[in-house]
Amino acid sequence: MSYSILLIYMFPAIVLVIPLYVMFSRVGIRDSINLLILVYLAQTLPVALYMLRSYFQTLPPEMEQAGLIDGCSRLGVIWRIVIPLSAPALASVALYTFMIAWNEFLFAFMFLDTPEKFTLSRGVVQLAGSVHLSKQLVMAASVMVTIPILVLFLFFERRLVQGLTAGAMKG
Amino acid sequence: MASLTLKAITKRFGKVMALSCVDLHVEDGEFCVLLGPSGCGKSTLLNIIAGLILQDEGTVLLDGKSVDRLFPRDRDVAMVFQSYALYPHMTVAQNLEFGLRMRGVPKPTIQELVLESAHLLGIEDLLDRKPRELSGGQRQRVAMGRVMVRRPRLFLLDEPLSNLDARLRASVRLELKQLHRKIQSTILYVTHDQVEAMTLGDKVVVMRNGKVHQIDQPETIYARPADTFVAGFIGSPEMNLYQGRLFQKDGRSHFQGAGFSLDLGGLKPNVGQGEVEVGIRPEDIEICHSATALRGKVEMISNIGSEKYLHVGLGNVSLTVRAPKEANFQPGQIILLTIDPDRLHIFHEGRRI
Repeated sequence: MSYSILLIYMFPAIVLVIPLYVMFSRVGIRDSINLLILVYLAQTLPVALYMLRSYFQTLPPEMEQAGLIDGCSRLGVIWRIVIPLSAPALASVALYTFMIAWNEFLFAFMFLDTPEKFTLSRGVVQLAGSVHLSKQLVMAASVMVTIPILVLFLFFERRLVQGLTAGAMKG
Repeated sequence: MASLTLKAITKRFGKVMALSCVDLHVEDGEFCVLLGPSGCGKSTLLNIIAGLILQDEGTVLLDGKSVDRLFPRDRDVAMVFQSYALYPHMTVAQNLEFGLRMRGVPKPTIQELVLESAHLLGIEDLLDRKPRELSGGQRQRVAMGRVMVRRPRLFLLDEPLSNLDARLRASVRLELKQLHRKIQSTILYVTHDQVEAMTLGDKVVVMRNGKVHQIDQPETIYARPADTFVAGFIGSPEMNLYQGRLFQKDGRSHFQGAGFSLDLGGLKPNVGQGEVEVGIRPEDIEICHSATALRGKVEMISNIGSEKYLHVGLGNVSLTVRAPKEANFQPGQIILLTIDPDRLHIFHEGRRI
C-alpha cells in the first residue's frame, strides 16, 4: 500500500502538467500563487507522509502505551511524546519538501503568467531570456536563489544527524 | 490500593486463542506473579488489565467494580514495561513527574512525591539526567519510580528484570521484595523466570497457551504441581517424568516404566490400574547401598559448585539425581538409588492424582 505512493512519483511531471493546465485554464484559476501552493502541497505531501510513517514505526509502541497509562489522551500522546521525539524526522521532511517547492520550475513556468507573481526559479529564467541584461547578473541571481536553501541546511544539519530516542529502551 | 478480579477473560488474535477463560483474584496488597513460557498470553493479560487492548469476553474488576469501559488513564493502574519505555526527551525528574502532571496534581505536591520516590529508590542524584545517560539498572529504577510516584491502585510489571545482567537481577529482585513490603501495594508481575516467581510471589499463576494451569502459593506449586506441565516447568533441573503403567500385585501398587519398575508400597489404592506418569524431583532421589535399590549407570555429571547433578541411565530412560558437592562419582560408575514413594508425583491423563 505505502509503496503505491512512491509508484506515483515515477510519472514524469510533464505528464501531469498538461491536463492540469487545461483544467485550471477552463476553470479560470490558473494564474495564481495560491493555486501553485496547492499543487506543491499535493506533490510533496504523499512523500512526506511516507517518510514520516516509516519513522513513526521505529518509535517503540511501549512509549505511547506508557503515555496512555500515565494519563494522556490519544492526542496528548502524539503532542507530548511522539512529536518531540520526531523532531529530527520532522526537520528533515520539512527541509526536503521546502527544497522541492523552492526549486520547482515546471509548474511555475506553466501556470504563472503575470511577472509580479513569478517564483524565484521562474524569475531567473525570465531574466535569462531578457536580451538587455548581462549574463553576470543572471548568474548572480541564480546564486542568490540557492542561498536560502544553503542556510536552512546548515541550520537543520545538527538536528538531522542525531536521533532522539537513544536511552528510552534497554541496552 | 485495590483488589483485582478477572472473570473469564478471553482474547483471540485472528484464529489464535491468546487467552481462554482466565479467572483470577488478587487480594489487596498481594504480590501475584504470572509465570509461563514466552507466548503464553501473560503480557496480553497485563495489557488487557491496563486497558491497552480490549478483551473479547470477560470482565476486569478493580475493587469489585468493572473497569472495562474505562480508558487506560482512568483505570488508575501503573505499568513497568520490559523495555522500561522511559521518555527519552525528558530528564529523570520529568519522567517521574509526567503522570502526576497529566493528572493535574499541584506543583508542590509533585515535587514532594518525586523526591520521596527518588529517595526510596536511591536515584536522587540522577534527577537531572536524561535516560540515555543512565545504566540499565538505573533505568530500571527510574521506570519503577515513574509508576510509584502516582500511588496507583494496581502495579503491573511486565518482566521488569529481564534486561538486567544476572547479578544485578538478583539484587534488584530483593529490593523489589523489600519495596513491596514497604509500600504494601497490589502487584501483578509477569515473568518467565521461575526463580523470580518463587522468590517474589505471594501467589503464583502458571500459564501456558492462554490457559491457567495452577494458581497457588509458591511452596504448593513446587510441592504439589497440578499437572505435568507445571511439574516439568517448575524446578531446575527439571523433575524426572516417566510414562508407564500402574498395576496391583499382592495388595501393593507397582509402577512399570520403560526399563525400570517401582514398588509404590501401600500408596494410592484408589488409583487402581492404567497408564500414568510419575514424577520425582532430583533432590528426592537417594543414593544408597541398599540391595533392593534401583541400579543405574552414571552417564554424565553437571557440577554447578554448590551441588552436583548426576545424569543416570536407568533401563531405557535417564534420570537426574542431585548429589552433594563432596560426592565423588565417575562417569560409567554403577550407583544404587532409592525413591521414597511418598515423594512421587503421579499424574493420570496429565492431571495430578
